[in-house]
Amino acid sequence: MEPEHIDEFEKELQQVLQRRPAPPSLKRKVMARRGLEITERRHHYWVAWKRVAAGLVLAAMLGGAMEWQLQRAEDRRRGEEARRQVMTALRVTERALNEMNLRLAARNRNPAQ
Amino acid sequence: MANEWQPDFEKLVDEHQSMVFSLALRMSGDRGLAEEIAQDVFLELDRNMGKIKNPEHALFWLRRVAISRSSDALRRRRVRGLDLWVEMNEAHASCTDERPSPLGTRMEFLLTTLPEAQRAALVLRYQEDMPPEEIAATLEAPLATVKSHLQRGLKLLRAKAANHLREYIRGA
Repeated sequence: MEPEHIDEFEKELQQVLQRRPAPPSLKRKVMARRGLEITERRHHYWVAWKRVAAGLVLAAMLGGAMEWQLQRAEDRRRGEEARRQVMTALRVTERALNEMNLRLAARNRNPAQ
Repeated sequence: MANEWQPDFEKLVDEHQSMVFSLALRMSGDRGLAEEIAQDVFLELDRNMGKIKNPEHALFWLRRVAISRSSDALRRRRVRGLDLWVEMNEAHASCTDERPSPLGTRMEFLLTTLPEAQRAALVLRYQEDMPPEEIAATLEAPLATVKSHLQRGLKLLRAKAANHLREYIRGA
């Protein structure tokens, strides 16, 4: 009795659970949303590329600025070095001139020498 | 040569919309929600078209994702089966002529009162005519668990149907 009852019940269940037709609007809505998603995806790609490009430009600008700063610091260092050398040369010349001056003054005081 | 099959999205929607919608409807018990779930499932299919290997894989994938998304939607909404059923009945009556018999309607309602795992197993078994092995693969569950869900679900549904049938006859 029991298995027969189950079989009947299962048959009924199978009949009840037949596939229902999808709403007529389902495919239209899916295709519309798909179109929107594709447009959105393309837009996102475009925005992403623009961001990458902007990032690259910014990085290049920063790199350029950094390079310019380094170059400027190097030029300043070389300028300082040159100035120091000129000052040293001037000091050496000054000392030599002073010495010469002293000797000349001594000779003028004592012309017999 | 396994990759020769070129999936056509529109054709897949045409072929499987009834199956996906019916699975979502039986799992959620809500026609509006089922339509939303079906839309989401097909859009997810579109995003994963590259991974679909052949028509059988598409069918398997759609069944699995339809059940999974229905469970997600139910979890999100946390709506009781009875409320959903009222909504479904009203909406369905206004949309299609293909209404099941009153007894069938009651049976579908009773199905929505079953635990989710049992409902999923029964819907795949009796709507999709799938053997327990395929159901286990679709639900990613052990075969023994699926068999147990089928057995318990059927037993519970039968008990509920017997009670309701008595009430139905008494009412008529």
